[in-house]
Amino acid sequence: MFRKTVLLTALLFFTFHSFSQLPKITFTPHWLPQAQFAGYYVAEEMGFYEQEGIDVEIVHPSASVMATEKLINEESDVISLFLITAISVKSQGVDLVNIAQLSQHSALMFVAKKNSNILSLDDLNGRRIGIWKSGFDEVPKAIINSNNYNVTWVPILSSVNMFMIDGVDAMTVMWYNEYDQIINSGFNEDELTSIFFSDYGYNIPEDGLYCLNKTRLQRYGDLEKFVKGTLKGWEYAKNHKDEALDIVLNIMREEHVATNLAHQSWMLERMIELIDTGKKNVKKGELAEYDFHKAQSILMDDGTVDSKISFKNFYKPVLGEPDK
Amino acid sequence: MAFKLTKSLASRIVFYVLSFCVFLFLISLSVFYFFSKKTIEDTTRKNALSLMESTVFKTEQILLTTEKISKNYKWLIESHQLNCDSIMFYTQLIVKNNPEVIGCAIAFEPEFFPEKGYYFSPYTYRENGELHSTYLGSADYDYFIMDWYQIPVTIEQPYWSEPYYDSGGVDALITTYSVPFYRYSGQEKALAGVITIDLSLEWLTDIVSSVRIFETGYASVISRNGTFVTHPKTELIMNQTIFSWAYELESPQLREIGRDMQAGNTNFVSYVKGKTRWMISYTPLGSSGWSLAIVFPRSEMYAPLRQISIVLIILIVVGLGLLTFIITKIVNEQIKPLRYFAKSAREVADGNFDNKLPEIKSEDEMKDLLNSFEHMQKDLKSYIEHLKETTSAKEKIESELRIAREIQMGMIPKIFPPFPDIPEIDIYAMLEPAKEVGGDLYDFFLIDDKHLCIALGDVSGKGVPASLFMAVTRTLLRSIAPKQRSPKVIVDALNKSLSLNNESSMFVTFFLGIINIETGYMQYTNAGHNPPVIISSGGDVKMFEITKDIPIGLFPEHRYEEKEMHFLPSDKIFLYTDGVTEAENWDADLYSEEKLLKCLSLVKKSEPIEIVMSVARDVVIHVNDYLQSDDLTMMCVVYYGK
Repeated sequence: MFRKTVLLTALLFFTFHSFSQLPKITFTPHWLPQAQFAGYYVAEEMGFYEQEGIDVEIVHPSASVMATEKLINEESDVISLFLITAISVKSQGVDLVNIAQLSQHSALMFVAKKNSNILSLDDLNGRRIGIWKSGFDEVPKAIINSNNYNVTWVPILSSVNMFMIDGVDAMTVMWYNEYDQIINSGFNEDELTSIFFSDYGYNIPEDGLYCLNKTRLQRYGDLEKFVKGTLKGWEYAKNHKDEALDIVLNIMREEHVATNLAHQSWMLERMIELIDTGKKNVKKGELAEYDFHKAQSILMDDGTVDSKISFKNFYKPVLGEPDK
Repeated sequence: MAFKLTKSLASRIVFYVLSFCVFLFLISLSVFYFFSKKTIEDTTRKNALSLMESTVFKTEQILLTTEKISKNYKWLIESHQLNCDSIMFYTQLIVKNNPEVIGCAIAFEPEFFPEKGYYFSPYTYRENGELHSTYLGSADYDYFIMDWYQIPVTIEQPYWSEPYYDSGGVDALITTYSVPFYRYSGQEKALAGVITIDLSLEWLTDIVSSVRIFETGYASVISRNGTFVTHPKTELIMNQTIFSWAYELESPQLREIGRDMQAGNTNFVSYVKGKTRWMISYTPLGSSGWSLAIVFPRSEMYAPLRQISIVLIILIVVGLGLLTFIITKIVNEQIKPLRYFAKSAREVADGNFDNKLPEIKSEDEMKDLLNSFEHMQKDLKSYIEHLKETTSAKEKIESELRIAREIQMGMIPKIFPPFPDIPEIDIYAMLEPAKEVGGDLYDFFLIDDKHLCIALGDVSGKGVPASLFMAVTRTLLRSIAPKQRSPKVIVDALNKSLSLNNESSMFVTFFLGIINIETGYMQYTNAGHNPPVIISSGGDVKMFEITKDIPIGLFPEHRYEEKEMHFLPSDKIFLYTDGVTEAENWDADLYSEEKLLKCLSLVKKSEPIEIVMSVARDVVIHVNDYLQSDDLTMMCVVYYGK
């Protein structure tokens, strides 16, 4: 009797122990919870990471601590970043590598009110354009500079209020985010002029997964599992949008982030479009070399980056055979 | 019968009156409903507007106070060279003296006071009832790009910020009112900074939440961007804009309402959500760019009208019930005499002319009816009495005529065969008077062993006079004939007797023949009668040649001619009156001599009885039930010979 109890206890302990002993990956998306990161939440919620054999903790950045800082401080194993931000960060000496490129298209765009007589890119010449103070300004500036337009850049923290109150003539926005905020603030689509950067040869993809080079070398297998689980999460979100939105909204409520179904639904739809490779000659999760070079050249042109990084040093996928 | 009369007339009157009343009530009710609805709508619109006005007024009290404070300090800062170290004191003063203000910053442009560096923004805020002061601005808190600073600076106008939760993360909503201030040197104006006043929105929530209209009506405030600032559904607050909410509800109409609210318009509109129709009344909230809406279900607005309508309908139904009862009673009372009249009429029909009529005291149509009825009763009574007399007189005459007919028919021989002992001859005859008594006659009798007299005549006219004349003729014939052997003599004598004292100028067409049974010769005289038909033993059927003589009874001195014919064995003679050939049918077609000859041809081989009956049948078929207008007399004699 006694022996049986011991055996049972040992068995239970072993199960619990082995479960809790799954290698842990701490992931930090580069913004507060929203449908932009639906794939990660879904993968976690649906147990895809566990199925892969890892334990993933999602830790969001705060107003004071950015995702990049968390990576540098090694608080996070993997973070998501915009491609162009990542190149810039790497050039500043942070030894990060891209282990998977999720977004395959640019979601950046200018939006303007038709009643301010801005109907095309040319009409932006001489205007006041809102741009985020926090970054992502390289591509819009490259487009304006390549056309030799004279514009006044108005730094904006994060809201669309300056645009709403006519403080700026146009604004740099994300197709999946601020554009829909403007729609949800009362503007109709036909009242807006949408200028997509991708239509002007600046189809620089954004969201990718990054880790420190040393982490990659040490935890290649875990990272591979993380990427696989993440892709599975996105695939599931694509096929079960309502379920994915429920998961996203729950997390947002838990994190006290204001939101609504309309906006998150729009964002999820757009994200699924951005992740889709379309006609690009890459697999899901791969970074196209062309995209990397285009992004790097923009950064070099505006002086943000002065020394070239090789594609091989930057893009080190964890799917498939590990490199020697 | 009485019940049926009551049912049909009274219920018909009730039905018509009731139908008209129902129609009238329906029209009245519809008009009432329409106008009441309109009045309710107008009143509700006014109430909603005044409710909004009072709510806006309460709200503006605080908004205006805030605006006034900012304006005063703006003036103070712009018109005085202030010591930079005294600025914090002002912010403390503002928060301290205005309980609704929870924070105040006076933020200056970069390097405005060189000694204070790039950022200089004294800030005082209230926390747990205590005032705290600090300086805003750092690399991490670059206030120059904060909405509260950047927007008023850019638009060069005061700005009410979008609502936001305070940094403590508690559920206290805040809005910030920012006013840019400037430094003036001569004509030039240079931006100096922004005064901000943080206002907790608790008071707004309190004011708006206290608004109640009808059962479930409520008020809500949306910000400039359409964000719900207050709403009974707390999950909407700060999470949804009216536009994202419209998207979730799939209601483009709500989106348009949101846009109209955003445009600062005041309106009263209806809006359908699912199966519920809502009324929304909205108006802008002072200078904040926000909008206040009062929302209530349309059905609640009309609830009192529905209640009144239900009461009205119940009253109308009860009223109509009473009306039905009363009308039925009145109509039944009014038409009661009719029932008595109906009963009286039935009794009159049964022959009781003395039954009592109802008493009618009123001088109306019923009285007229009573008079007419009395008159009718009286007239009918005298008519029936008269009719009784006439009928008994007529019955008497008819009975006499019947006797006369029997007498008349008794005068002519009716036993066939008449001479069973005389094989040479066979006779059959018939007489069918058109009326009870007729003017035709036939006769046959033996004058002696060898001679047979046959006669057939037709007195002019019909009925009793003709029958009397016929009786006279037949009596004379019987008295004259036995003494004579010549038809001419007999006819002459008859003519003479009848012509004398014939004041009524009647006459007889007459055929008289005397047949010698042994020889088969027949002497005959035809006094204006239809020519007889001879049916020869050889099969010929033809008329005698027409005798031109006149009927007897006209001229006493006239002398008639006599002729002779010879019967071969089995020859037949067929005598008849014009009642046969002139028998009419419905189309006024006469039976005619042609038809007679044709009929006789068919039965020429038959015995006299068969021949007479066949012609009689043929005439009946021809007449086809048409009124018999003349006496019908036929006689057929066959001579078989020795």
